[in-house]
Amino acid sequence: MKATKLEHMPKLNPHIKTPSTTSIIMQDVAIALIPALLGAFYFFGIRSLYLVAASVASCVISEFIWQKIVRRQSTIGDFSAVVTGILIAFNLPVTTPIWVAVVASMFAIIVVKQFFGGIGSNFANPALMGRIFIMVMWPTQVMQYVTTFHSGVDSVTSATVLSMLKGGQEITQFSTWDMFIGNIPGAIGETSALLLLIGFIYMCYRGIVNAKAAIIYIATVIAITFVFGGDGLFTGDIMTNLLGGGLILGAFYMLTDYAFVSARGKLMLAVLAGIITAGIRVWGGYPEGVAFGILAANCFIGFFERIKKTHVYGVKDKQNEGW
Amino acid sequence: MKFQEFSKFPGGVHPTDGLDKRLSNQESIFKYIPEVVEISMKQSGGSACQVVVKQGDHVTIGQIIGEPKGFGAAAIHASMNGTVIEIKIVKDAKGQETTVCVIQAEETKLIENELEYSNKLIDLTDISKERIIGAMKDSGLIGMGGAGFPTHIKYETNKKIQYVLINGAECEPFLTCDHRLMLEYGMEIVNGANLLVKAADATKGIICLEDNKKDAAEHLKKLLGDVSSSLEVKVLPTKYPQGGERQLVQAVTGIEVPMGGLPADVGIIISNVATAKAIADMIFAQIPLVSRCITITGRVKKPRNYLVPIGTKFSDLIELSGGFEVTNNRLILGGPMTGACLAINVKAEELEGSVTKTSSGIVVLENNNEGESPCIRCEACARVCPAGIVPFKINHAYIDENIDICEKLYATECIGCGSCSYVCPAKIELAYRVMEARGEINRRKRERGVK
Repeated sequence: MKATKLEHMPKLNPHIKTPSTTSIIMQDVAIALIPALLGAFYFFGIRSLYLVAASVASCVISEFIWQKIVRRQSTIGDFSAVVTGILIAFNLPVTTPIWVAVVASMFAIIVVKQFFGGIGSNFANPALMGRIFIMVMWPTQVMQYVTTFHSGVDSVTSATVLSMLKGGQEITQFSTWDMFIGNIPGAIGETSALLLLIGFIYMCYRGIVNAKAAIIYIATVIAITFVFGGDGLFTGDIMTNLLGGGLILGAFYMLTDYAFVSARGKLMLAVLAGIITAGIRVWGGYPEGVAFGILAANCFIGFFERIKKTHVYGVKDKQNEGW
Repeated sequence: MKFQEFSKFPGGVHPTDGLDKRLSNQESIFKYIPEVVEISMKQSGGSACQVVVKQGDHVTIGQIIGEPKGFGAAAIHASMNGTVIEIKIVKDAKGQETTVCVIQAEETKLIENELEYSNKLIDLTDISKERIIGAMKDSGLIGMGGAGFPTHIKYETNKKIQYVLINGAECEPFLTCDHRLMLEYGMEIVNGANLLVKAADATKGIICLEDNKKDAAEHLKKLLGDVSSSLEVKVLPTKYPQGGERQLVQAVTGIEVPMGGLPADVGIIISNVATAKAIADMIFAQIPLVSRCITITGRVKKPRNYLVPIGTKFSDLIELSGGFEVTNNRLILGGPMTGACLAINVKAEELEGSVTKTSSGIVVLENNNEGESPCIRCEACARVCPAGIVPFKINHAYIDENIDICEKLYATECIGCGSCSYVCPAKIELAYRVMEARGEINRRKRERGVK
């Protein structure tokens, strides 16, 4: 049996195939991120573009070099490294040193993605892993958030809205509108819910995203932080939790990253990620919990796949033990 | 048994926008008789026939020239009057040797005679079930939808049959021969369907078609008229693979055929519309299955539907359709989703092969190949699988040569529709490997059974 050899390949049916390719899907994700990229430039200035350029370039180059070294077929043409690069940069504050972004990109691509077999075989989102890695290695360099160019004062170091919330501060200088359009301190790509939403709508239109999982994830986080996040029960700050951090970016672009679980499993994954994220925000040490929440839930994928049962045509469901 | 309000089966794809069918669905069936036919002694995937004529023999239309050698074959008849000029052995597309009987026609004139059964509903009270099944056998009738299983065996079931589904779904892109057949030979099909209902002792016959053939549905409904007959026309929402046996049963009745079972196990028999026409031809006009309707479409100059004798050479049909529009062509026998590749980059005159009882069409496409890229676990294949299995997992397991896992993942339930390969953004040949896994599992099961 020569399973992998396809001598008759050109003769196999079906003879027509969907025009969609991995590359087109990834290009669509990249296109969906463009509004937020322009927003990053508008709010945080040209340096945010340098950060994006540096991490995209280092992602693509490290993938290319790694695949050359291990003599695998190059997959840089599929744009997945580009998307990873953009997402890494989007998770960083504008003050992050360029070399830190480069290290995060190399770690994400080589360790998280390629060590596990490349695209589709990674167990966790490379961009989030890259971000966590540098957060642990150089916490001071990647935590210096600044206000935007349009906040009325010059760019000054400022805590994020969520840190203020965590610290029990009253949030007075940022209106809900500011948070919605992105005029708040934070990582360059995460602040503008509006621009991320535009990209998300584009992805929904192209049918490449699991909108249900994203919405369930957001709903779970909001529900838990609303119930337990305030001084008493049911007094949590909904808008700040929704718009103040990386929740939207995580839900729309990183939670729904391809890692197979059945439709039902994906919803369970979203709920779990939501519980962990909210738990960190309410009881944990960090003001933000999106990255940890999604990564922790990613680790449960194998478990969810085991317990799910899909219906096979003509098979009585009792017979189908699942696998 | 209650019918669902909204007929559907899970999964499935919409492979094309419907423009492909429009290439040929307004072209009325063109009747053509060639000078030479090459009748293959292997008309379907099943077993072959033994030639019973020899070179130089004079044959008349309907005369038996091939006797079935095994269970899965049906008799083969001369498809025109003429002389056997050669008995040759050729290699088919799969590389297997097949005997071919070449007949030179005496005359290539079309004989048109109006018959009663093509104009009105025939009263069947005098025709017994046994006579119909006998006629199926004599006619050499096999399923004309593609599987090519002898029809009489299907109807000789001892199961109680409730419904006969007359399959006019024609869910494969590009093909339009069944569509035209329903439009132009509607009454034959209606009469044939009634015969099939009678042969199965069923309570009802349901002619099933997709809503991209509304004109045919209207036409058939008009033919059925107010006569309270046991027939019904059912229009289903267009979706591939609607015409798959198991999917059609599910779409129409909401019932699933049990694993390893046949539709007869749930009281249903399915026959193609062309099969219905063929049984009517045999019963009312004593013409066995010697011709069929075939669509030549895709990148040919004149896409058309033909009614030709069995054995008409493909090269003749391509020539009649004006030849290829592209030189880097890929020829498909049947529909583009499940059809076999006939040839690649071939010249019209070099094309080998001839029409069999199961040839529904030749689709000419441009030949472009994309290589496989890594799976990104987007689960699109699982979403579209009408059998509810997870093709990409089976693909991984098969590449790892782990057949036991393939079995646990129900690779055996694959119907080979190709929806997974169609939808895969990484262009992985999922359908091929799942079908290979299925074959391997079944082979091992047989071995276990023997021991």
